[in-house]
Amino acid sequence: MAETKGVLLPAYVLADESGSMGPYKEELSNGLISLCEGLRAEPMVAAKLRLAVLGFSDDVEVRLAVADMRHETSLPQVEIRGLTNYKAVFDDLLDRIPSDIQWLRGEGYKVHRPVVFFLSDGQPTDRGAWRKPHGRLTDRAQTPTAPNIVACGIGDAQARTMVEVATRPEFAFVAKPGTDIGRAVAEFFHALTASLVASGQALNSGSPQLVVNRPEQFSMAIDEVG
Amino acid sequence: MDRRRLHSADDGRAAAPAPPVAPWAVPWQRITVGTPGPEFEARPPGQYAFDFPDTECDGWSTSSLCLRFASVRGAKHRYYRQPRQDAARAAVHEESGSIVFAVADGVSSASSSELGAVEACRSSVERMLYLLSSGEGELDFRDVVLHAAERLRQLAMWRLGGREPEAGEVAGLYATTLVAGVVRPDPAGPTAELCRIADSVAWVLDRSNGRYQPLFSSKTGSDTLLVSNEVTPLPHVPEVLEHASVRLESGHALLVGTDGFADPLGDGDGQVGALFAHHLAAPTSPAWLAHLLDFSRETFDDDRTLLVIWRQMGAAAE
Repeated sequence: MAETKGVLLPAYVLADESGSMGPYKEELSNGLISLCEGLRAEPMVAAKLRLAVLGFSDDVEVRLAVADMRHETSLPQVEIRGLTNYKAVFDDLLDRIPSDIQWLRGEGYKVHRPVVFFLSDGQPTDRGAWRKPHGRLTDRAQTPTAPNIVACGIGDAQARTMVEVATRPEFAFVAKPGTDIGRAVAEFFHALTASLVASGQALNSGSPQLVVNRPEQFSMAIDEVG
Repeated sequence: MDRRRLHSADDGRAAAPAPPVAPWAVPWQRITVGTPGPEFEARPPGQYAFDFPDTECDGWSTSSLCLRFASVRGAKHRYYRQPRQDAARAAVHEESGSIVFAVADGVSSASSSELGAVEACRSSVERMLYLLSSGEGELDFRDVVLHAAERLRQLAMWRLGGREPEAGEVAGLYATTLVAGVVRPDPAGPTAELCRIADSVAWVLDRSNGRYQPLFSSKTGSDTLLVSNEVTPLPHVPEVLEHASVRLESGHALLVGTDGFADPLGDGDGQVGALFAHHLAAPTSPAWLAHLLDFSRETFDDDRTLLVIWRQMGAAAE
């Protein structure tokens, strides 16, 4: 058997590219750039992460395939388009995550449970059709590589929906009422970068754990629901 | 001391040429395995972490057993200014000639885990010495780990100014993994008995073929799809304690390590396994073990601790 090259945390950023995000495209792009630069500035942490950026609307488009950010030179480019189809997201992840993990293991790595950072500005336009693939994706009996999902809602996205999408209530956040959406997008990426750096530091330790930082201007969605 | 020699350059006489560097004085080069991690000068840990040096090692022998251990700060802690959170301690039980030992890996989310790890080692070694002196038969490892957990509680109480801590507060300050055990001399070959809390690991290394036989299950075994992150460290003591015992045959060495060593070792059939199987074929100096353990390999940046006990070749039972 090949020797273990390392133990990696696969991280997926799901960015809402639906039409309503049009006015905030620049903030979305800048946020992704700051995320990539933030990870490059922490090469010891970046070595233990593999980052994928996926844009979603009617379907899912790969903006950055599972990448080692120490060596990745291209920056993910978002495209504003279509509706807010959550089902497309979870159908895609149901195929993508097991396949990526198999590939990483084939490359000689061990893999931590993946993490998905989900950012949406709207309610799902596929009504409840997303719940079935989401349920399969997050059920560790059906999907052994089931990810942890951190869900952040801005704009029209409702707290109750974010709590349903997230795998733990404390992983669900919504922007506080009246928050500028552009600023909320920027804060999402700040918190995302900090969470990945902190999680990367906690990897390969006695207690590897996912660290999730609450973005500024966001509150825990469970508090809004309750 | 001849002070004139110290001041010879000031006497107006020409300074003697520097002696040639003896070949044995060449500094040790850091060992790399595969792709190395980043090289940098270690940064200091916080100002109050002076009691937890970057590297510790120890080694000695009885007439039948030989012990070495080393504990080194990982690249992550050297870079992010944190102290080494691993610890190891060992002692000889003089009456029986047994070696008692403990290896601990402080949980990084605990605020004083470096102290938790040391105290868990100290208290479990003390307790094992006491139990060995108190009676015959197998060690009561539940007693040992409960004693270690109680020490952590007492420490937390002291830290909180005398207030009784809740379990979560003790864990928040001092949570740590622990492997504790004893190797007893025996005419048929030394016997090792161990217990563990959480995910530190132990192996028997067969020096004849370089194979590592794990004594506990591993979180990163080749058959695991995802690396588990669900460990429950001290002060929690599980209902059923993981326990192992083994006789060290001729050519066997007992290895006990934290996951900083276990993760890159994996199943032991790669470069890391070969490196250590080669160097641990016979007892090495404690300092060399520390140097060896400080190998550089990309992504493996955790603290590393390894304790090794060899059976002395041709040793008679004590």
